[in-house]
Amino acid sequence: MHIPDGILPASIIVAGYATTGGVTWYSLRQIKRDKNPQANIPKASLLTAAFFVASWIHIPVPPVSVHLILNGLLGTILGYYAFPAILIGLFFQAVMFQHGGLSTLGVNATMFGIPAILAYHLFRLCHKVGKNNSVWTGMFAFLSGAGGLGLSVVIFFLLVITNIPANIDAAMERNVIYGLVLAHIPLMLIEGAFTAAVTLFLMRVKPELLKQ
Amino acid sequence: MNGLDAYVYLKSPIHRWEPRCKLVALLALIFAFAFVKQLILLPVMVGVTIVYYGVSRLPGSFLLKRLRYPGFFLAAIAVLLPFSVGNIVIWQLGVLALRQEGLLALILIVTRFLCILTVGLILFGTAPFLTSIKAMRSLGLPSVLADMMLLSYRYIEQFGEDLKRMQTAMRLRGFRANKFSRRNLTVLASLAGSLLVRSYEQSQQVYQAMILRGYGCVPSRRHQLFKIHASDLIGLLVTCVVALGFVVAEIILTNA
Repeated sequence: MHIPDGILPASIIVAGYATTGGVTWYSLRQIKRDKNPQANIPKASLLTAAFFVASWIHIPVPPVSVHLILNGLLGTILGYYAFPAILIGLFFQAVMFQHGGLSTLGVNATMFGIPAILAYHLFRLCHKVGKNNSVWTGMFAFLSGAGGLGLSVVIFFLLVITNIPANIDAAMERNVIYGLVLAHIPLMLIEGAFTAAVTLFLMRVKPELLKQ
Repeated sequence: MNGLDAYVYLKSPIHRWEPRCKLVALLALIFAFAFVKQLILLPVMVGVTIVYYGVSRLPGSFLLKRLRYPGFFLAAIAVLLPFSVGNIVIWQLGVLALRQEGLLALILIVTRFLCILTVGLILFGTAPFLTSIKAMRSLGLPSVLADMMLLSYRYIEQFGEDLKRMQTAMRLRGFRANKFSRRNLTVLASLAGSLLVRSYEQSQQVYQAMILRGYGCVPSRRHQLFKIHASDLIGLLVTCVVALGFVVAEIILTNA
């Protein structure tokens, strides 16, 4: 679901890089407010690598299998480190696998990174409302995972359909976007369920990973 | 990793190009290509890309192998765009109508895509990946991002091997992920969770090892890593002029 090179006009590419620059600056500012930001860098880096590898896990949905985006889960676990982690992961994917692109790196980082940060804040609401049992944690993790992917899907189709360099009928454009977003609802549910299952696993095995 | 470094040993002017100059110049070219919308500029763009790829002496098979994954994207838009976008029908067979606007959009997207991808391969296929990251750091990439990038790159391969080993162990214990079920999803989530826990535990050891080696205390020596020669600056200047040429030509042709 990455936007490849060549498909978007220069104005959107520049806007994508500008947004990514701004959000990266804000994330780094938040990171520097940590008590010991240096200590968190190896943790965030190795988790970035682990997330990169975990996205290779395929979920069987016969007759095909799908791989997950995990941006909601990234936000849930890494907090403000999620945005740099996503930026780095997308850069590696563009350079190593030609998945996504160098010119669209800013747009893709915005598309996956901002929903990840929103997912982080959504998951933190669970602590704020004081419901730290597994049912509430699982529910908030589900919403973070499904919502993170859902927002990315909406941004993806809005950008791709409205920027195809040819005239499309506005009504058809709207219908195509609605149709494609609706077609992704099952994937959002799978992503949400997977995020909830991983979060509950971590809650049992390594709860400090969820205490960002 | 992943064969990207396979041809960094070659000797070509692009391989010898100082990494920072190369990074700035080829990124400028990539953005200039992304700026192009006029079809008349596409042959020039292809020509420039061929010249740079030829000068880099990278084999054609390197590029073709890298096109395998994006090939799915190309196939998808080649099927969708010319038959669904536009009003002017230039060929029809039953309900299938080939439309001019869709076909032109397809040509533009595919050409831009291939040229940008090729220049990206020239950029990262002619120097070790770590050298490219160090060049980015020298150009002002924030230290947090550079450190995260270097550390993540170091551990991706190891975690990939860990994942393979864990998946083999699961299969040996009888796990078959051939249908979608709650149990399978929970097992696969535990697999991902185990990978995260392992990486977290390892990160604590890595941090202690880094502290012992003076992480955060030793001043950076980034300015001593690379040395710029006159030929590097000439390459940078020529490429930037070419990139600017595309932007200026696009603006003139759009306003004409």
